[in-house]
Amino acid sequence: MPLLEVKNLEVSFGLRSGEVKALRNINFTLDRGERLGLVGESGAGKSVLGFSILNLISKPGRISGGEILFEGKNLADMSPEELRDVRGNRISMIFQDPMMTLNPVLTIGQQMIECLQAHRKISKENARTIAIQKLQQVQIPSPETRIDQYPYELSGGMRQRVVIAIGLLMDPDIIIADEPTTALDVTIQAEIMELMVELCERNNVALILITHDLGVVSQVTQKAIVMYAGRIIEQGPTREIINDAQHPYTQGLMNALPQMAIPGQRLNQIRGAMPSLQKIPTGCAFNPRCDYVRDACTQQLPGYTASGNCQVACHMVAELKQAEQASEGA
Amino acid sequence: MTTENQTSANKMPVPEKAPSAWERFKETHVWHSFIKDRVAQISLTIFMGYVIMALFAPAIAPFDPYDPTQIDIMNSELPPSWDEEMGDEQFWLGTDAQGRDLWSTILYGTRISLTIGICAVLLQATIGIIIGLIAGYRGGRVDNILMRFADVQLSFSTMMVAIVVLAVFQASFGTELYQDLARIMLVLVIGIAEWPQYARTIRASVLAEKKKEYVDAARVMGLGQMRIMFRHILPNTLSPILVISTVQVANAIISEASLSFLGLGMPVSQPSLGSLISSGFEYIFSGAWWITVIPGIVLVVLVLVMNLLGDWLRDVLNPKLYKG
Amino acid sequence: MTDSKITEQTDQQPETLVQIRGLYKKFNISGDFLDQLKFKGGKIVREQEFVHAINGVNLDIQKGEALCVVGESGCGKSTVARTVMGLITPSAGSISYRGERIDDLDDKQLLPYRKKMQMIFQNPYASLNPRMTIAQTLEEPVRLHNPDWSAQQVRDKVHEVMFSVGIDPSWGERFAHEFSGGQRQRISIARALAVDPEFIVADEPISALDVSIQAQVLNLLMDAQEKRNLTYLFITHDLAVVEHFGTRVAVMYLGSLCELAPTKTLFAKPRHPYTQALMSAIPRLEDDRPPHIKLQGEVPTPVNLPSGCVFHGRCPYANERCKQEIPKLITTDEGGQVACHGVEEGRI
Repeated sequence: MPLLEVKNLEVSFGLRSGEVKALRNINFTLDRGERLGLVGESGAGKSVLGFSILNLISKPGRISGGEILFEGKNLADMSPEELRDVRGNRISMIFQDPMMTLNPVLTIGQQMIECLQAHRKISKENARTIAIQKLQQVQIPSPETRIDQYPYELSGGMRQRVVIAIGLLMDPDIIIADEPTTALDVTIQAEIMELMVELCERNNVALILITHDLGVVSQVTQKAIVMYAGRIIEQGPTREIINDAQHPYTQGLMNALPQMAIPGQRLNQIRGAMPSLQKIPTGCAFNPRCDYVRDACTQQLPGYTASGNCQVACHMVAELKQAEQASEGA
Repeated sequence: MTTENQTSANKMPVPEKAPSAWERFKETHVWHSFIKDRVAQISLTIFMGYVIMALFAPAIAPFDPYDPTQIDIMNSELPPSWDEEMGDEQFWLGTDAQGRDLWSTILYGTRISLTIGICAVLLQATIGIIIGLIAGYRGGRVDNILMRFADVQLSFSTMMVAIVVLAVFQASFGTELYQDLARIMLVLVIGIAEWPQYARTIRASVLAEKKKEYVDAARVMGLGQMRIMFRHILPNTLSPILVISTVQVANAIISEASLSFLGLGMPVSQPSLGSLISSGFEYIFSGAWWITVIPGIVLVVLVLVMNLLGDWLRDVLNPKLYKG
Repeated sequence: MTDSKITEQTDQQPETLVQIRGLYKKFNISGDFLDQLKFKGGKIVREQEFVHAINGVNLDIQKGEALCVVGESGCGKSTVARTVMGLITPSAGSISYRGERIDDLDDKQLLPYRKKMQMIFQNPYASLNPRMTIAQTLEEPVRLHNPDWSAQQVRDKVHEVMFSVGIDPSWGERFAHEFSGGQRQRISIARALAVDPEFIVADEPISALDVSIQAQVLNLLMDAQEKRNLTYLFITHDLAVVEHFGTRVAVMYLGSLCELAPTKTLFAKPRHPYTQALMSAIPRLEDDRPPHIKLQGEVPTPVNLPSGCVFHGRCPYANERCKQEIPKLITTDEGGQVACHGVEEGRI
């Protein structure tokens, strides 16, 4: 049994203009210790998916269908008490802005100890020892003194390390990290990503990394999910997706990166922009921007086709693959 | 050459025709929260009622309280018409001590109170906006001087300034001249005493707006300081101005009423709501409660709906609240 | 294609458009006069603290090139851009445009330069005035800089720039909030192009945009450069963009220039230890990327600058000399310039 299994998940938002589906038909699994990347541009629904795994969707949104099975139990219909036991304890979350997690008027130690005592019966001294140990794990220098500092006394990179330490406090099974390094500089991003991989491997923790950065996904994760307009359009082993993307959107996204183009030449841009959720085109949501569009694409929602170890939602997969092989053969 | 074709192909799903101002307004948060908020609707309706009363007072009022020929002292202190013993069908809210129809006097009084309130706030806003804009935009020493000046002004309470100024004026120029100029004096005094409220609010939002890149863009373009301040920054500080204006009009009306009550406001011959309340005060124990109580209720309701509208506007226009 | 462009320029004795000499900028962060008074050793003393944002930067921007300034947050790259545009007055040093000093001019005297130098900002959500329609936003600079134009001429110009950045001119009556981030950035670019400038400062113009939109905007900037013969000062933190877009690259760290080199040279052989670390940290798609060089410690605050080379505290090659002497830019064999004692001494 996988650690986490999401089945036919659907999330809707009730807006003034009517109900809008932010996520449709989401299916994936996550094994213990596995690192999964959720990639997409803003508005693709990747953050909503991250929140919905913890059943943290707040009004006007709600989970309108499907199941989120964590060790076989459905998080979508758990009582608030049961959910509290899972959140922070078994599954923890790391946000882009560390100050969303950290309370500016409490020291780091106070926050970590409070968190530990909320979930476990433990003395203050023991809690402090565990907190220092976790700070050490995230390579914060001299954790014994740092623990009594306030968040504002730390740099951005240090704060994000503290947040990761808080995420690790309860020895969770899954960490969901929502753009954890987007606000940081590249050198610090590289350090934090290395740290997270190392920590996940050492503690056998599964990681769901939500990001827009394909480079980060490529370096950190084993499995990747590409999202577009609230739907998974491609999922599979990271290396396979990076080296041989099947969906025209994934290909376009990758080709748009400056590192994929010859310096000084035009970049291979995808035309247009992601549609807003109220105005998702019929058929394949990507069809107005796609170069390979056929009649079927504008009429019918594509199902998932297996291609190698990947699942791709595109009518043209087989045809594109053939064309590719033909051109390689020639 | 291919660029044009490529880039113009990047059209987004934006509807073809630009919507009119009213259509745009119907899409705004203000409109949507208004149609959902019962209190705001009722408040606005009542307030509009007051405005109509004030605007059309001469047309609505059965009598002209300023016209001595229409006043008969024999009609003085008549109770409202629902009092079957003493009431007179002619005066449905009764009459005051001089025999004026109370309903007509209240209509004219509302007109005076609202006029003074709005004019005083216009004066406050003009001074406050100019000073606040300059202080916020220029910053540094200019800001320091202007804001200390505002602090000094604020440390005198409005009532104290008003009482001193008006009392001195009355004493030195005589009651006669004072009665002629009462309206203007009240506007000036209330207007000048309260400008720091505006200046502070505007300064705070100018400081926030100044950091935004569109102000830098305007500077890079080479626009003059005046144009940047009034054409670019000022329109973006309108929301707080609107909120504090509603509350300030209510405050100004209260100030005017208090001053009139103390005998420093509008003369009895041209009563505002405040002087009306005050004029009836002597008779309240002789049983003629209506001369004080009815204008009192009118005043309280007016101030209440203005404050409710102000509260609602503040909630609606607070970007922190409607982002989420 | 790019190569030929570069060599063409170097052959033809490049013309310097903007010259930055000995630029310093410090910001006073000690607050009011009263806040500055401190009680120390029985005496009241006035104490002031400064953020040293730029510490002696020399840069020449040559006509037709795209000079990219890279560095991490707080390295002073944006301050350089804003000082060049006259949004900030430098504490010391000079900025010249085609040989004329412009940093000590007042608003009126700057006006003719405003027509030639324009700026594109980072945040497309804040750089357009929310209370103005797109047409108003774009017409304003055109009218200001061409006071003798008729209303029709102004409108035609605005249509022309809107069209050239891929915004339908019929959308002119709309407000900025009705557009997406990418479209807004196009409008910002249109505003800068509306006065036909020859030099554009772009301060992180694509970092707030999505990947697929970034490519569109970068392409647009490159097209504009080709068609209008523009010179760019391009500020970014993204080295991948620099490699693609830049003619030359200047790497900044804590307000100082570490390395300045033609893009190809820099990416083929970065010399400064900081540049090397920065390049190794870019997330790459390839599997077999070089190992990430870890720097010790954190970036020091620009309030108390380290003595000597600002990078010495984190540099794996630092020695005594680095701690005391500020390195000067020296020209390397490859044609770049680098400020490092280690490179000078042949240690690195």
